[in-house]
Amino acid sequence: MHSFSELIIGDVFVAPFVGYALTALVIILALRPILRLCRFDKLFSHPAVAELSLYVTILGLLTVAF
Amino acid sequence: MTTAAITRPWSLAGVPASAWAFGIRIWVAIVVALAAAFWLELEVPSSAALTVAILALPTRGQALDKAVYRSIATLIGVTASVAIIAIFSQARDLLLAALAGWIGLCVYAAGLMDGTRAYAAVLSGYTVALVAIQQLDTPEHVFESGVARGAAIAIGIVAITVVNDVFAAPDSHPQLAARLAALHGRVRDYAKAAFQNAARDTAAAAGLLRDVAALHPDLTSLAGESSTGAVRGAAARSTAVALVAAVSAARALKALPPAADLAAASRELARRDGEVCDGLAALSAGTRPQRAWRTPLYRSQRIAAAAGIRAAAWLALAAVFFVLAGWPTADAALSTVAVVIGLGATTPNPNGFTVIAFVTAPIAAALAGTLEFLVLDGVNEFPLLALALAPFVIGTAVLMTRPNPSLASLGRLSLVFMIVIFAPNNPPAYDPQSFLFTSLFVGVSTALLLAAQMLVPTESNERRQRWLLASARRDFERVLSRRDRSLAPEEAMFRDATRIAQIPVGAASPRDGAVLAEALSYFDRAAAIRLARARETVS
Repeated sequence: MHSFSELIIGDVFVAPFVGYALTALVIILALRPILRLCRFDKLFSHPAVAELSLYVTILGLLTVAF
Repeated sequence: MTTAAITRPWSLAGVPASAWAFGIRIWVAIVVALAAAFWLELEVPSSAALTVAILALPTRGQALDKAVYRSIATLIGVTASVAIIAIFSQARDLLLAALAGWIGLCVYAAGLMDGTRAYAAVLSGYTVALVAIQQLDTPEHVFESGVARGAAIAIGIVAITVVNDVFAAPDSHPQLAARLAALHGRVRDYAKAAFQNAARDTAAAAGLLRDVAALHPDLTSLAGESSTGAVRGAAARSTAVALVAAVSAARALKALPPAADLAAASRELARRDGEVCDGLAALSAGTRPQRAWRTPLYRSQRIAAAAGIRAAAWLALAAVFFVLAGWPTADAALSTVAVVIGLGATTPNPNGFTVIAFVTAPIAAALAGTLEFLVLDGVNEFPLLALALAPFVIGTAVLMTRPNPSLASLGRLSLVFMIVIFAPNNPPAYDPQSFLFTSLFVGVSTALLLAAQMLVPTESNERRQRWLLASARRDFERVLSRRDRSLAPEEAMFRDATRIAQIPVGAASPRDGAVLAEALSYFDRAAAIRLARARETVS
């Protein structure tokens, strides 16, 4: 059984999902300059949907791996 | 010259397709936010729908920018609520005074910023009203209430972001590029026009500077939009600064006597024109512009402080009235007063905004009443709620896209007030008494705020003009005494242009014309001195 790592801020328990969602957001923001260099927005007809899918993929990987 | 066939955009019932698409996106986002909030069994699911209504903006960049600032502001507001309740929970009058002081401080901060940043400042203010005042009798629950509100807001933000992404909401940058290109055309026309009479020339130049400066909030909202957002933002900022510099160069050229050597001034104008073209090309290609200029904003401390003090006075007057009246649900009404003060502070005319809110309150109550008691009338199924919401949400959202600012504000406020009064909940309440109370208090709060604004009116346009001119004079003296070195000459020009944009001018009166002419003369002279000094340092 996969156990989620707890996030505790000042004795307040925060749902693990919030931690994953925020980490994924930080990762996608850090990836942005690289995405720009590899012309990510020219590769897809709808770059916004592609970027959202990338975010969901990273979020899913984080949830499975940690 | 080439001519292009103008294709009329597809429209239905006189409303363009893009406006209908916007309305449908907002409706889907509200339904998704409510579904998620009901499923997660949040305490205040209506807050999630309210967040979507507030973040209802036509482009992705604007909505994302506002969402980020909304999250930060909620965090600040909830922290301030906990602090204020912890200090003053035993003394009601002191607590209300602290609230008025906090709202005043936030309105002051909003006066120093613009666009979504100003919105975030006032949001930190009225979050305290929503969280702390509504928990006046149960101070031990202020933290839970803050967390519940934060969770609902997060759901709302995620809903609108995902819906905007999936439904391909338009990006901000093509629209911004089109507006910058249109301004470029106008600047070229202005430069080409021979020197007309002085008054018409002043009005034309001031109009151009005002329109470039009005783009400032949009220039800062590009960054979050996509992976190329940051560089496009830099390109848009450089273009705007170059446009102001081009206006300045055109004015310098026109000011020369006919006998003077015009070659140097013409070269300068051509160089600025080239910089604008570079910026526009970089903006549409998503590449870094050759020159990266910042767009500093001028804000008057004095006007901001006056607005802050006035906002605190309005809230204090309303609070005194509610304390004397001793009504049972005064806390909700006071929160509404704080919300209308806050939202009004981000508009150029707070009094006008309150009048629109006053007119909207009965309309929104009628809409919410029709939705709750005529259309839904006791149903419990979520799909029916979603369907019933459609005409109301899409209708008000379409109204928001109208070019008339009063109609747009009316649409936005109708949607917000309607959700506040209807307050969708799981299970639905269908309580006529609570509907009547909420409608009544939304109406009473806006009427009371209107009365408070009559008692403590905003400063006159003449006084505002005097303050802005005095600051222009002070800044010019600083230029003369070589004490302003922090900005590049072009950036300083842009800052001066944002000051000219704030000078209130009504119908073309001779006095307003004289004020604009004086402000523009400071702008021209300061720009010429700064550019000459910059050339000195280079050579």
